[in-house]
Amino acid sequence: MTKLTETRFTAQASVPQGRPQRKKNLVQRIGKGGFIASLPFLAPALAAYVVFVIAPMISAVRLSLYQWSGYNTDPQVFVGFKNYIRLFTQDPVFWTSVQNTVVWVILSLIIPTTLGLVMALALNQPLVGRNLFRSVFYIPGVLAPIAVANMWRWMYNPNYGVFSEISKTLHIGDGSGVTFLSDPKVAIYAVFAAFVWQVAGLNMVLFLAGLQGVSKELVESARLDGANNWQVFRNVTLPALRPTVVIVMVLTIVHSIKVFDLIVGMTGGGPAQSSQVLALWSYTQSFLNHDFGLGNAVATVLLVVTLVLVVPYLIWSTKGADDQR
Amino acid sequence: MSTATLPATRVRNGIKVPKQARDYVRIGLWIALVIVMVIWAMPLLFVFLTSVKSESDIFTTSSFAIPGILDWENYTEALDTGNLVTAGTNSLFIAIVKVPLGLFIAAAAAFALSRIRFKFDTIILGAFALGSMVPIQVALGPLFKTILDLGLLNNPVGVILPYIGFGLPMQVFILHGFFTAVPKEIDESVRVDGGGNLRLFLQFILPLSKPALAALFILDFVATWNEYAIALVILQNKASQTVPLAIQGFQSQFTSSYGPLNAFTIMSILPVLIIYLLFQRYFVQGMFTGAVKG
Repeated sequence: MTKLTETRFTAQASVPQGRPQRKKNLVQRIGKGGFIASLPFLAPALAAYVVFVIAPMISAVRLSLYQWSGYNTDPQVFVGFKNYIRLFTQDPVFWTSVQNTVVWVILSLIIPTTLGLVMALALNQPLVGRNLFRSVFYIPGVLAPIAVANMWRWMYNPNYGVFSEISKTLHIGDGSGVTFLSDPKVAIYAVFAAFVWQVAGLNMVLFLAGLQGVSKELVESARLDGANNWQVFRNVTLPALRPTVVIVMVLTIVHSIKVFDLIVGMTGGGPAQSSQVLALWSYTQSFLNHDFGLGNAVATVLLVVTLVLVVPYLIWSTKGADDQR
Repeated sequence: MSTATLPATRVRNGIKVPKQARDYVRIGLWIALVIVMVIWAMPLLFVFLTSVKSESDIFTTSSFAIPGILDWENYTEALDTGNLVTAGTNSLFIAIVKVPLGLFIAAAAAFALSRIRFKFDTIILGAFALGSMVPIQVALGPLFKTILDLGLLNNPVGVILPYIGFGLPMQVFILHGFFTAVPKEIDESVRVDGGGNLRLFLQFILPLSKPALAALFILDFVATWNEYAIALVILQNKASQTVPLAIQGFQSQFTSSYGPLNAFTIMSILPVLIIYLLFQRYFVQGMFTGAVKG
């Protein structure tokens, strides 16, 4: 699920460590009966997780080695690495998707994160209407991406959309209106703009939560020592925000790798597959071209890329969880 | 929260009266924020304006123009031609079943992982954490086959089950953090009284974690309401559609009925907006409780 809204909580789950309670817990962790006792609590979750998450993922890797239409009536034929060879050598759209996914991840790590940080820093000050600002910035994040896609599609409408109107009024371009979504060179960036609009507020909220952890005494004493705003930010605020920055980065990577709804809703991957991304290309191959082998090969690539990017973080954060005992 | 911290003398009719050089910076910042806020509110505003304009107004007047008379006909037309009522009922049913059930299952697992000592708890927690990171699209093809084999295509249960599976990792991970923060002295006193794990879980840990559970409930409700990819492959006929599928369906069927299209969008996001506005405070509160504990 594109659980954009859910993510802010990981910040709280893993940031606050190092409270005095930790040491005590080492001794006080009470266990009665071990694994057997935990089973009634754990079994439903494990069952749902294994059957509907883990098994399909393993199955995706397996199916990437088969040729199959996806219909139960058709046989699955083992073809080894043939799907991958086809993917890497004969599928130009695959490489477009790789490129777009990479560009999307990099841009996401720069633009909505910085914007979110700036919003959070600004709204961390006592200002009139702070809650209103915060809500307006955050609200796009709770909307369904598919609804956001439709809103932006309308704004990009070449005849009646607001961008066309602005460009005509200001006499920018050739007067034929804005055709971002039908231009293969800019379509992906036009979709990305909607993404920025949607996720910047989420990052803002994460940073705002992180900013609560910045010691006010430290900021005060830095000011007394004559530090200016930038010096305070650079030497006090930013180091204290480091755990939040890591979490925002990881969540951004995770979200940008799985971007799907927005692209389906705004361009469908077009024009001429120019705005394809890995997640959508996998779906397209499996469900529209009925090539489950190729589709799952793309899915496997997506899985490997994700693991390479997030496993280091996971090791780091599970270590943190271990330390908590 | 906002105005209280500012000395009252500095605010007159919402405009700040500068007293020091630093106040000029504040005002500049405030103006910049207002500009960004206006930009941020634009998309929703345009969609709303379009949704209350008659067709001829949409074609002839500016996007910025505020229509003289609000024309709600687009809404009735969208309701008549679109699948919003059926889809809304489906989405509501799915969310009402999925969210509490999934949250309870996640809480039970988080309880086991944080309060009962056994060998593989860290590995299991790690496995859950991993699941929260992997894009669902990786599993979409095989998931379709699993649901097909279970005979649950076009059935709300067919999405509820995978939604529970995919919702678990994040919730288990977050709740594990909260449960770990609950003092272990409680465990001892429950056990001294002769209570078991079930009592500890239902009577102590769950009630103590209410803020976290409430926040997760709301967030999960919104996420479930908005989910698209899984619904897209499992719910293939019109009768079983959820709201995001209905939006996309309406948009591809009536590409150029701009008025009803935008009315449809507005109606589809209304429930989520209401939920956000109603629970915003509670939910921010829950968030910061989590940040302070730990």
